Amino acid sequence: MSKQINQAASACNRFGLGARPGELAKITDARGWLAEQLRDDIDSPPRGLPSSGAYLLREAKFVRERRDDKAAGDPKSTFRASFAGDLRDESLARWRIAVEGTHGFHERLVRFWSNHFAVSVDKRAAALYAMPLEREAIRPHATDRFGDLLLAVETHPAMLRYLDNAQSVGPDSMVAERAQRRQERTGKGRRSGLNENLAREVLELHTLGANGGYRQEDVIELARAITGWGLPLPRDLVDGPAPVDTGFAFHPLAHEPGTRGLLGRRYAQPGMEQGRAILADLAMHPRTAAHVSAKMARHFVSDVPDPALVAHMTRTWLAHEGDIGAVCRAMIDSDTAWNADAVKLKSPQDFVVSALRAVGTTIDPLRLTQYAALLERLGEPELKPRSPAGFPDQDSAWLEGDAIWKRLQIAVALAGHVGGDAEDALRAGEALGPRLDEETSEAMHRAGSPSQALATLFASPAFQWRA
Amino acid sequence: MHSRRRFLGHVALACASGALLPGVRLLAGDAADAGDARLVVVLLRGGLDGLHALIPYADPGWARLRGALAPDGSAGSAMHRLDGTWALHSSLAYSAQLYAAGQLLPVTAVAPPYWGRSHFDAQDCVENGTDRPHGAQQGWLNRCISALAGQRAVVAAAVMPLMTRGAAHVDTWSPPLPTQIDPVLLQRLGVLYAKDKRLDPVFRSALAQAESGASGSANDALVRGDARLVQSLRAVGGFLARAGGPRIAFVEDDGWDTHANEGPILTRKLGELDAGLRAARESLGDAWARSIVIVVSEFGRTAAINGTLGTDHGSGGAAFLAGGAVKGGRVGGDFAGLASNALYEGRDVRATTDLRSVFKGVLAEHLKMSEGTLDARVFPDSARTKPIDGLVAKKSA
Repeated sequence: MSKQINQAASACNRFGLGARPGELAKITDARGWLAEQLRDDIDSPPRGLPSSGAYLLREAKFVRERRDDKAAGDPKSTFRASFAGDLRDESLARWRIAVEGTHGFHERLVRFWSNHFAVSVDKRAAALYAMPLEREAIRPHATDRFGDLLLAVETHPAMLRYLDNAQSVGPDSMVAERAQRRQERTGKGRRSGLNENLAREVLELHTLGANGGYRQEDVIELARAITGWGLPLPRDLVDGPAPVDTGFAFHPLAHEPGTRGLLGRRYAQPGMEQGRAILADLAMHPRTAAHVSAKMARHFVSDVPDPALVAHMTRTWLAHEGDIGAVCRAMIDSDTAWNADAVKLKSPQDFVVSALRAVGTTIDPLRLTQYAALLERLGEPELKPRSPAGFPDQDSAWLEGDAIWKRLQIAVALAGHVGGDAEDALRAGEALGPRLDEETSEAMHRAGSPSQALATLFASPAFQWRA
Repeated sequence: MHSRRRFLGHVALACASGALLPGVRLLAGDAADAGDARLVVVLLRGGLDGLHALIPYADPGWARLRGALAPDGSAGSAMHRLDGTWALHSSLAYSAQLYAAGQLLPVTAVAPPYWGRSHFDAQDCVENGTDRPHGAQQGWLNRCISALAGQRAVVAAAVMPLMTRGAAHVDTWSPPLPTQIDPVLLQRLGVLYAKDKRLDPVFRSALAQAESGASGSANDALVRGDARLVQSLRAVGGFLARAGGPRIAFVEDDGWDTHANEGPILTRKLGELDAGLRAARESLGDAWARSIVIVVSEFGRTAAINGTLGTDHGSGGAAFLAGGAVKGGRVGGDFAGLASNALYEGRDVRATTDLRSVFKGVLAEHLKMSEGTLDARVFPDSARTKPIDGLVAKKSA
């Protein structure tokens, strides 16, 4: 029994987003509970939100209307104001799944991928599409083959805009030639050309890793191969027959013609197939398998994961066509992953989410901006990493003096937000199961008010760890 | 004016060392020599486009490579000409005033000792202070503080960046939450944290910092709605100005990775940098005369603009030294020019100065750190990378 409750606590806290009241008691088989969440029909995406294609259509109409308004000297609305409601709805859906959902492990995996394929809402052109990236590209493939996930992400408008590929044009493509002729003839228009931003981060961050053995030439060859991967043109969206359920379009006239060479292989495929073939090979490259396996083990198990565990996951990756579910099973079936010393500090995001889960609350839409502000203060603003590398995933990044002090302040603020009576507060401590030590439990009992009891729990050292 | 400033600096230095007991002075080692000097290091993450900030307008290659970025007002008559070769971007108006007063020293064609084009490896290299990415787990600024026994430092960041990570204690600062924490709760938590070996030291240092009321004038800055870089520079300037406060600070900023349509982005960002220098000048007050602010980035960008009116990751970039203790009013560094055969791999400004030479030059003359300490401890195995002489204004005749 004690082993069972110990493992249940680890399943919820180490691999999940923390337990809700009563959740631990229901988990009789911790490994089975986790494995169940790797089924490919487990994901329940938020419903009722527009597709990226629909957003693009509205954005194109908005831009056109504003141009007309401006011409009439009457600019009516800013982009931010026009889409603020959508951004709020997207964020609300995301918070609801995290705090109210029952598949914590699956959600951690989804969030792991969102950070692996980081897009920042700080870049205005990508801001509206960052959360749809998670809904549309990551959720359907979170436990799928990595190659399918990779392709879905790299063809999503969020990524194509965030890393500038939507503007990248093959230097010898028809589009570039026309632009050059027009410029020579009229002196007007922009030059167009290659942008290597996405290609570099695909290699450095998404697949092979920083020491992945690729060179500058490989970056440029990949950049050339994925020229033409972009978004539907505004005029096609507004006036044309383009379907509005997808935010992706391949533009053959912008694609760099010719055969590409990457990492010693030749790619002679026509058009879009060329980049697709390269991504498929990258997904199954041993360096990719090792890089991403190590990152997963670091995320779920330890800052310094057992090399044998990483090697086992890497082998599983290569033997199962990059099947993420199989790689995750290899991880949770290993004994290392359940070691008592496999503890990590909760990221700020997990800290806030697990506190809200512990009290069994539902998300109050009016609190959303406050939660967002808390994460900003803790240094992990929602979907706003400061670089394409995403947020750091090591304890040291979240362990410094000022950051811990902010956690204490936020523990007090959260305890104030959720309210409840003493019994609710004490029950919240059960979310930690056997990880709630006697001293913390006593301190909660001695607290002067329910809110103080909760603040004590949230601010306690025991609550900071994913143990 | 110039000699008066030097005179005041001299007096202040004498007062500071006079206040120390002889025994303490011996124990403090380099610290006593560092005297009352202030140092702020600013890292612009993402790769500042050096050619857009510090413009070699007279180089025939510039118009050829950069012409299309001119119309937004960053070039032509709006730029601030420094000499027959160089100009500052139009947004750097205050910086140009500092230059005219001999308090700004732009340095061209600098880079960390790293030739790849990865942000993360290059930043790692700038921060760890060795000759390669991941060459050390601590930052060179932390090792510098360790070497200056008794000195205190502050970093403007919510979480500790590599630059200031390491054995020496560094305070972190960021705009505080309004919530106060009940002292009783803190006492109770103190007991709990005492049993957690990893979290207890962090908890205690946070507590000490909160008790010393290090939050200062942050709320004023918030009301003004300044950019993060400006807020941070104003705040650390305030800390450094205090008697008995920290003497070294690190400030970071991001948003400098300008792959597309960089004209308007850099007009705004360089404006923030300019306002940040002004804010530092204001909050440092009299201490400005004894201060150096070093502004660096992990690399420069491609010499030519790309197909999307931006620039991609490159090599040699620009750095700026500002402050009353800087021997400015001139442009430092060796610029190989923008001719195709002068560019590194035909695409980037060739880096001719190791950033560590700039750092070492400032640490040697401004903080009076010894060559041995710099070569072995702060920047390990760097004896061959010589400090640049003459970055600092001489305090006495």
